[in-house]
Amino acid sequence: MTAASSRSFWAGMSQAFLWALLLSVGVVVVYPLLWMALGGFKSNSQIFEQPFALPLQWSFANYLSAWQGVQGYMVSSLLITVVSTVTTVFISAWAAFGLTRTPMPAKPLVTAIVLGGMMLSPTVALVPLVRMLQSLGLYDTHWALIILYTAFRVPFTTFLIRAYMLDLPRDLDEAAMMDGANPGQIFRRIILPLCRPIIMSCIVLHILFAWNEYLFAMIFTNNPSVQTLPVGLTSMMSKQGTDFAQVFAAMTISALPIVIIFFLTQRYFIRGLTEGIGK
Amino acid sequence: MAELRLRDIRKNYGTVEVLHGIDLDIRSGEFVVFVGPSGCGKSTLLRAIAGLEDISSGEFRIDGALMNDVAPSQRGIAMVFQSYALYPHMTVFDNMAFGLKIAGFRKDQIAARIRQAAEILQLTPYLDRYPRALSGGQRQRVAIGRAIVRDPKVFLFDEPLSNLDAALRVATRIEIAKLKQAMPGATMIYVTHDQVEAMTLADRIVVLRDGRIEQVGSPVELYRRPANLFVGQFIGSPSMNVLGGTLARTGPDTRVELDAGFTVAVPIPTEAAMQGQRVHLGIRPEDLRPCSTDPLFRATISLVEQLGEVQLTYLDLPGLAAPLIAKLPGHLDLHPGRDIGLTAEAANLHLFDRHENAIRPAEAGHKVAVPAE
Repeated sequence: MTAASSRSFWAGMSQAFLWALLLSVGVVVVYPLLWMALGGFKSNSQIFEQPFALPLQWSFANYLSAWQGVQGYMVSSLLITVVSTVTTVFISAWAAFGLTRTPMPAKPLVTAIVLGGMMLSPTVALVPLVRMLQSLGLYDTHWALIILYTAFRVPFTTFLIRAYMLDLPRDLDEAAMMDGANPGQIFRRIILPLCRPIIMSCIVLHILFAWNEYLFAMIFTNNPSVQTLPVGLTSMMSKQGTDFAQVFAAMTISALPIVIIFFLTQRYFIRGLTEGIGK
Repeated sequence: MAELRLRDIRKNYGTVEVLHGIDLDIRSGEFVVFVGPSGCGKSTLLRAIAGLEDISSGEFRIDGALMNDVAPSQRGIAMVFQSYALYPHMTVFDNMAFGLKIAGFRKDQIAARIRQAAEILQLTPYLDRYPRALSGGQRQRVAIGRAIVRDPKVFLFDEPLSNLDAALRVATRIEIAKLKQAMPGATMIYVTHDQVEAMTLADRIVVLRDGRIEQVGSPVELYRRPANLFVGQFIGSPSMNVLGGTLARTGPDTRVELDAGFTVAVPIPTEAAMQGQRVHLGIRPEDLRPCSTDPLFRATISLVEQLGEVQLTYLDLPGLAAPLIAKLPGHLDLHPGRDIGLTAEAANLHLFDRHENAIRPAEAGHKVAVPAE
């Protein structure tokens, strides 16, 4: 065996090993999801008797009845996720613009205070927050979660957008200023469009957070018409604890929007995060 | 048409003063170039004129109107940035239209202005392209076009050619010169550290050092009659040779005894009080020529850089830290180690006093008045 062919043999082997490794990781990640989705098509008895087999018949009955059960929660989740995403990203982008582009006294201190919010544990703040929202009359409303999700995510989202904005050349602001643009126009027409990749990343990250958040949703909402999917799924599980097929179907339905959104936006998701911080 | 007047302009960053009282008048339609080494304050001065930096004290007027607190967009000034600063998410057309849209121009007016500017700058085929799809030179032209469409009274250029390669830099420099010819009424201020750009483009050059103006004058004036040693060395490439020495004889027939070991007669009258004072003799490399009979001095060649038309000859002289440079004709047979005699026209010699200010025939008496240390 010559040196060249020996080298190509080992290169091929390492390539094959890499593929095998990636494939294994892929299976470990995807299989439970697939198993859950397939479980939704099975009968409850088949789940216990043949947990790893394909469904005997492809029936959407479980999905239809699960949909009946979760659609109220789905609407709440959608509403809270959409509104809190808009408010979080908008407030964070404005805050990042202020922190990076405007003359401001004690800017490092303000930046530290805003970003310091990332260190605040939600669990620690629970009791005062309950009192506060009760006294404001917001307890057990959609607004309670919208406000909390916005407040707790603004620091992190600001952190990401600020890092991205710091890399945008200042000449652009100055050129726009020479063109007669005021700070609002510079933000809206120059900086915001240029921040699209990181804004998209922040939107995806916030959707993931708001869609799956459990602690606040469980504490601050009681009424099923206000509760979100994670809380709704838990109550479904306790109500229909033995009907795993329907629970699986409901969980699949609740995960589906996130999976779709992630696949549609993963290009932005990865680019935004790497461009923003990785320079 | 706009006349600019700067009076005692100062700029501080905290306790650090970077512009130390700039006085300058720029006439309407003039092309003025600010040159100086890095950190001399030329860009800060330009940004202060643009309104991108506040002026700490002093007065800046355009056509008599005080501009200190006027917003950049209200000064009638357009600026071309070193980085071009094109909006990457907008097409060439939108880049040029942005300022006009903000100013509330009608769509047909905007289109007409952009069409006209695009024709002047040969950008018509590229109006729908994004900046990323343009070459460096084209981007630079868009940046200039964005300035032109606003029809400003004053154009500011902040090192606009420094991001271009050598060939494109020459081509764009010529385009800027043509642009100035096409707009004789426009006042233009141009910042560069490249003295070739300064010499070729400027009506007047302002040489800055450490936040102060060293000299203002036409390119030829700065080259022929530098006000001080700094300007003498800054203007001209390779830079002026400087030889330290002592005034051995004063009066109409000044003689300088150089540290290099020879004496030179300089036709610049000096006062008797200067006798024995330290002076600097400046000789431009291009003013030196070979001379076999009665040379000014003889030296040994240490290095030759053949450029074809000319050769830069580096010569070792005793008492000089850096080699003396002579720009000699390319056809001469020169090689390291050879001994060569050189001379220069007496009229081309520059004399600077111990404070590094030029001693000139008309000003000799004045220079002597500087008190002794």
